[in-house]
Amino acid sequence: MDYLHTDWAAMSRNDWLGVFFTVAAFVAMIAVYIMVFNPKNKDAFDSQSDMALRDEGEYNNSGDKK
Amino acid sequence: MEATNATPVKYDMDVVRWFTIAAIIFGVVGTFIGVYVASELAWPFLNFDIPEITFGRLRPLHTNAVIFAFGGNVLFATGYYIVQRTGATKLWSNKLAWFHFWGWQAIIICAVITLPMGMSQGKEYAELPWWVDIMIAVVWLSYGLNYVMTNAIRKTSHMYVSNWFTMGMIVMITYLHVVNSLAIPVDWATSYSIYSGVQDAMIQWWWGHNAVGFYLTGGFLGIMYYFIPKQSGRPVFSYRLSVLHFWTLTFGYVWLGAHHLQYTALPDWTGSLGAAISLAMIIPSWGGAMNGMMTLSGAWDKLRTDYILRFLVTAMAFYAMSTFDGPVMAIKSVNALSHYTDWTVGHVHAGALGWMSMISFGALYHMVKKLWNTEMYSDRLVNVHFWIALIGATTYVVAMWVSGIMQGLMWRDYDEYGTLTYTFVESVSAMHPYYVMRAVGGAIFNLGTWIMLFNVVMTVRQASASRSANPVAARA
Repeated sequence: MDYLHTDWAAMSRNDWLGVFFTVAAFVAMIAVYIMVFNPKNKDAFDSQSDMALRDEGEYNNSGDKK
Repeated sequence: MEATNATPVKYDMDVVRWFTIAAIIFGVVGTFIGVYVASELAWPFLNFDIPEITFGRLRPLHTNAVIFAFGGNVLFATGYYIVQRTGATKLWSNKLAWFHFWGWQAIIICAVITLPMGMSQGKEYAELPWWVDIMIAVVWLSYGLNYVMTNAIRKTSHMYVSNWFTMGMIVMITYLHVVNSLAIPVDWATSYSIYSGVQDAMIQWWWGHNAVGFYLTGGFLGIMYYFIPKQSGRPVFSYRLSVLHFWTLTFGYVWLGAHHLQYTALPDWTGSLGAAISLAMIIPSWGGAMNGMMTLSGAWDKLRTDYILRFLVTAMAFYAMSTFDGPVMAIKSVNALSHYTDWTVGHVHAGALGWMSMISFGALYHMVKKLWNTEMYSDRLVNVHFWIALIGATTYVVAMWVSGIMQGLMWRDYDEYGTLTYTFVESVSAMHPYYVMRAVGGAIFNLGTWIMLFNVVMTVRQASASRSANPVAARA
């Protein structure tokens, strides 16, 4: 437990900012996982999987098949 | 945002053509310098006692040439190509793209002059003098502005995942380059970093690893997610996975730099954190690699006849290998053996030759055919290039892996009296066969780039001749 000991009283403003951004990045990453793996979003994401193929004349500029 | 009709879009592709040609030329030049410096390590007489061509000065020229001249021009060519075609729009500013092109080439010329003269800030992958750093910032921001604004004026509702990767790279490299390059100039050749001691080391590797993460990985993943579907004619295997790949890479990569500084004056926990997140990054990296490979589902037979696709898929195999090798090397106990040895050089070149270059060659061949509206002068030469590149890269990487592990084991070996078994000079001597093998592997790889240059020059000439003979058909 000594390894994890923190002197909270010695934390500077920069230390707290570091903690804030670290935790915020972690929470944001969890939010992305939830968003991507939510079954409701599956079709919305995967409907774009052929987007790279749409510029060869087979599809129009809106992504709809001609 | 949705376009209301299917009016053909007139893209700004001239600047893309120039970036493409510049990339191919710098691919030849950058790897040739690499072969020369590798040969200097195997046969030191090649220094010829000329300071300007000693290893210490040419090595940063090699790394800058392959990363920023070759890699940069590849990223810009593909970036401008993809953003226009997926957004069904011209560039926001063609003039700014040309400023970007000539500005970037001017920076490369500055590197060619200053680095052999010995002007260096001594920061790895950021050696260029302070005034060139300012040029880089200005030119890079012109690219960023043009890229973001072109996305903003796109005609499609969705912004394709490749553009996310490229914009992630633009944002992060701006931040990394500016912070890492902060320095007090003394004269035009000398400056001092505003950081000192361990903070300087931490900032250096925060930049160094994220240049790998966002530039050499993120930027080139943008290439992968566009060109593998295009060349194979298959949609991305899982678009959901590509989105997850982007965000996990973006959140995760920034933590890794400290794994370069295990067992140094840096606080112990920072190295442990760097190693832990490095291991966690295997998941999105392999997810992305599988996503690229599985995009070929139903089209694997194309690998028999489509030589360009071979480059793209082999790149994914090297990407998977490198993103396993790296995290393993970040583990402290493995790092104790691997650090400061040639294993690191092998790891870097598995990424640079196997992943970055292979995906670049595939994308460049694909674009050359489209940009000049022609077939390759010789498909057979594309195949020859593929096998030469693969043999060269494998020879190089295997030599450095064996050499590095042997080096590490020799340095740590001691006898029953607690005395080191080998002197440092003995370990250097033992490396010699591997240094020769490395130079040979590099030379083979470099030969492939010459073949590519020849093939592309002949392809462009063929297209020009065809256009002259039949101007109406050429415009169609």
